[in-house]
Amino acid sequence: MTTASAEPLLSLRNVEVVYDNVSLAVSGVSLDVPEGQLIALLGANGAGKSTTLRSISGLLQAARGKVTRGEIRYAGQLVNTLSPQDRVKLGIVQVLEGRHVFEQLTTNENLEAACPVEMSRAEMRSALDRAYTFFPRLAERRNATSGYLSGGEQQMLAIARALMTRPRMLMLDEPSLGLSPMLTTEIFSIIRRINREEGISVLLVEQNAFAALDLVSHGYLIESGRVVMHDTATAMKNNPDIQEFYLGGHGVNFRDIKHYRRRKRWLT
Amino acid sequence: MDWILFLELAANGAVTGLLYAMVAISIVLIFKSSAVPNLAQGALVMVGAYAVLAFSDWLGLPMWLAIPAAMVFMFGLGIGIERHALRRLAGQPIIMILMMTLGLDIFLRGITLAAFGGSARRMDLGISDDPLFVGQILMSRVHLTGAAVALMVFAALVLFFRTRRGIRLRAISNDYVASWSVGIGVEQGVALSWALAAVISTIAGVFWGAVQGVDQSLSLLLLKSLTVAVLGGLDSLPGAIVAGILLGVLESVVSGYLDPLVGGGSRELVVAVTLILTVLIRPHGLFGDRSVERI
Repeated sequence: MTTASAEPLLSLRNVEVVYDNVSLAVSGVSLDVPEGQLIALLGANGAGKSTTLRSISGLLQAARGKVTRGEIRYAGQLVNTLSPQDRVKLGIVQVLEGRHVFEQLTTNENLEAACPVEMSRAEMRSALDRAYTFFPRLAERRNATSGYLSGGEQQMLAIARALMTRPRMLMLDEPSLGLSPMLTTEIFSIIRRINREEGISVLLVEQNAFAALDLVSHGYLIESGRVVMHDTATAMKNNPDIQEFYLGGHGVNFRDIKHYRRRKRWLT
Repeated sequence: MDWILFLELAANGAVTGLLYAMVAISIVLIFKSSAVPNLAQGALVMVGAYAVLAFSDWLGLPMWLAIPAAMVFMFGLGIGIERHALRRLAGQPIIMILMMTLGLDIFLRGITLAAFGGSARRMDLGISDDPLFVGQILMSRVHLTGAAVALMVFAALVLFFRTRRGIRLRAISNDYVASWSVGIGVEQGVALSWALAAVISTIAGVFWGAVQGVDQSLSLLLLKSLTVAVLGGLDSLPGAIVAGILLGVLESVVSGYLDPLVGGGSRELVVAVTLILTVLIRPHGLFGDRSVERI
């Protein structure tokens, strides 16, 4: 695994995504996720964050989207055309925005459903135990129908379910969505533990830039389908634009936005 | 009021209803996994029955071998239909998928008509036609056996849905995007549900063939079983069983009392009224998931 440190686990080069053959959602995104790192992908609504994740996990196909240009390399392999199932086998897993638990199944069944087919009973039990040690709250509710879990518990279940696939790279789409600040902190600290203890690389998509930048080492800022900024988390937190428009410094007014738009064009 | 007559009508209605339920279960299986209302389900029952006859009459296999052989054949047919006809339509408007299943129905009826001709054939299961008295109630042995098998099929499915493979199938029916996201083979799961539906259709075909002979009219079972499936809630297996018994009893009792007055034919009317009222008043059926209406 000495070569892995030199080459990032995941790298996107000029990826372009088109929905329904017409609308361009992402135009030329490049980013790297080095093995074992926590990376954030930040941006406003509709900037193309989710689309970028879907292009990596292969779930674009379900949304009638297509990668029309660029390369997605994972562990040295070009994965552009692989099915979502094959990408999960390689160790790429995406936790969908809005949790998407199997609502009619119990907590435990949700986790069992995500077990790879070839996993033995014993392996499955140890994988379940491991998932429950990260999320003790879920262990208490293992036989509850997951549709009746609270929003925070469902988010935990969605992450635990992704872990059952034995990933090398975990992608999270807005895990803080609709959660209280306290729950967000709890979930983010679990994500950090998963990253440290399991060595799983994490690509985190967030609108909550404040919480995300505390967690990750590097971040990318994406706007209108393009990466407009890439830096260390500390540098991004100190960037005045990020502070004003994503961390929510002072009140935003129209003139500021215009001024910012001008500057952004210059940045790109 | 003649209670013996009423009980007899109800009991016979219930066992017939369980035979409807067996076909309805197949519809539910496919609808659950892929949200496809399979209009070719009646034709699958008919093809299943013809397959048994082909193995027994043409190849000379004894019944106890011909039935499993036909089930294996139908398993393959179910997978083939999903693989080559339905999978290509993924993401198409539901009307196109409906047209496809309707086309399959016509195709299957046409091909069996060409291969076996139009005259009814006997399906001999070796179950005696002698009437069976349960207390004072007269019942049919074939119907009773079929009802028992229907309950066994249901029990087997309940057990199957607790296995890992079964859990994955339920996950697919619950949320297919989430299934993809954790690497579940959605396509394979849907194919499996078609295969299972085709196998259960074969069993239903055996009993319906023994009851009314094997001919094109077996495919008309679609109307009654679809009514049962809708009444039970298109995505509920227990719903199919309960609704089957309910419709069977209703049909038998109402027509038992009305037919002498109106000169016959009220059976179909009961089914039609049930279907129409269900869709108007309770579109998600007795036990269906309310959210199914969105589809």
